[in-house]
Amino acid sequence: MKFSTREDLPCTETAPRHRPFSSGRILAIASNTLTELIRLRVFYALLVFALLLIGSSIFMAQLSFQQEFQILKDVALGAMSIFTSVLAIVATARLIPQDLEDRTVYTILARPVPRLEYVVGKIVGVLALLGISILVMSVAFVLVMYGREQAVVRVTLRQMAGAPPDQVADALRAIRASAFNVNLFPGILIVYLKACLLAALTLFVSTFASTNIFTIVVMAFVYFISHLEATAREYWLQEHGSGLVTRIFLALVALLFPDLQEFNLVDDIVAGTAVSLGLFLKTAALGVFYITIYTLLAAWVFYGKEL
Amino acid sequence: MTDPAVTVRDLTKVFPVPWRRQSVVAVSNLNLRIEPGEVYGLLGPNGSGKSTTLKIILGLVSPTRGCTQIFGEDSRRVQSRQAVGFLPENPYFQKFLTGEETLRFAGRLCGLGGAQLNKRIDELLELVGLNKARKRRLGTYSKGMLQRIGLAQALINHPRLVVLDEPTAGVDPAGSREIRDLIVDLKRRGITVLLSSHLLAQAQEICDRVGILAEGALVREGHLQELIAIENQTELVIADASADLLREIESVINRSSAKLVERRKSTTTLERLFLEATQNGATRLRGEQNDTPPQ
Repeated sequence: MKFSTREDLPCTETAPRHRPFSSGRILAIASNTLTELIRLRVFYALLVFALLLIGSSIFMAQLSFQQEFQILKDVALGAMSIFTSVLAIVATARLIPQDLEDRTVYTILARPVPRLEYVVGKIVGVLALLGISILVMSVAFVLVMYGREQAVVRVTLRQMAGAPPDQVADALRAIRASAFNVNLFPGILIVYLKACLLAALTLFVSTFASTNIFTIVVMAFVYFISHLEATAREYWLQEHGSGLVTRIFLALVALLFPDLQEFNLVDDIVAGTAVSLGLFLKTAALGVFYITIYTLLAAWVFYGKEL
Repeated sequence: MTDPAVTVRDLTKVFPVPWRRQSVVAVSNLNLRIEPGEVYGLLGPNGSGKSTTLKIILGLVSPTRGCTQIFGEDSRRVQSRQAVGFLPENPYFQKFLTGEETLRFAGRLCGLGGAQLNKRIDELLELVGLNKARKRRLGTYSKGMLQRIGLAQALINHPRLVVLDEPTAGVDPAGSREIRDLIVDLKRRGITVLLSSHLLAQAQEICDRVGILAEGALVREGHLQELIAIENQTELVIADASADLLREIESVINRSSAKLVERRKSTTTLERLFLEATQNGATRLRGEQNDTPPQ
């Protein structure tokens, strides 16, 4: 051990003044969480996504361009949804239990950090990770789509070398309409919000779970139940009517198992249906509502936890 | 009148045992008062309630009964920890961070930033001798280095109270000595130190007052010298005394009503012997390496 000479010891100044709420502290915890997840190499999952995308684009080059673009969009957006959902659950499940097990939580909460800020910082870190992931996947998707579009345009121009300019222009318009279009962006944003919702719910479960595995297993069940919930609800309403007790019960079920089918706008978008602004905003608001509720519930459970 | 650095009043902590109709009493009716600038040692065997007491003082665990305060502020309030530095037992820091990033993170949590934080990080890395390892991840640090970075992060916010849970656990004698020197220096600067330990010899060297816990209850408390002094005995340490002089002293004692209890050669401590041996050995080895001609 080589402590410097005592004369070099930094002089005692006063501690900084405490602020009841500090976005700086939340950002510190969020960036720490993001660094942790990045250094755990969770982004390797994105490589699998890129390989899947490139592989499927090569395989589908034999189909007609409409079919090719359609399937490519299906594969890419489906993969984005699954990858971000899995990433959200797996990355979030370990955060709080690991901090408790490693006792790193002591060095954070023995400082002037409210537990709410700790929980919010953790979720913001995961949301940042999911944001980066979806951005990288979107860029890969756009690049692959653009590459295939240009290849199809070149082939079409070669095949229509002697055709009238109007026909060529129509053909090119048809190609571009089938390829990437801006309608896909709201769909990607909703995929992101769905992953964020799952992350917030996972964080909530992890505050009372004893192990990471327990959290992941519970979330796997929640994921499937939440996708089937709409069908079950319709069946229930048909059988039992919609009395007050039924509505309260369904509201509680909806809180525990968010209806993830509401976030499946991607299917319509891939099929060529433009999503209205109203539907997009309603779905986005639902996502933000769930994220807020689950984060507050997580903070509430964590507040009463003995460390 | 200034508030005490730490006040513990009628503190009891009971941990229920899940699935059983029984509970564990970790701390029972504990009362402590630690004055500003004091080095206070909370001593006791493993499981005596030291760590639980520290956790309650730091607001990490809630008391079943009673209350704790830091500089007059209830420990359950977050702002009570604004001027507190804490080194947990066996500090498991985030191993994916480098030494510098660990201090930066700790500083940002305390509201420090910018040039002020950079300066503080440089000072503390220099202080604990980890400047060269500042860019290395904590996963590659030895246990002693982890303890040093732990101390540095505990001091990042210019604390008025430093809480150290077994600060020398797992550290070699040289490192242990340095940590004790640092604690003494913190005291010199008016910083209150509350430490828990079951290594009594170390506590004896640095603590002003100690409290001894056993099964959650305070069984002894007071100024160290008062607690360990044997009232009716006196020690004389004499250097270069001749045999005649010693015989004369013994005969004076025998003529009086006093009784000579023990006569023995003074000894050094095993720790001092270890430090001298390892330092001399290292110096000799460096000298031999310098003398060796290049191959």
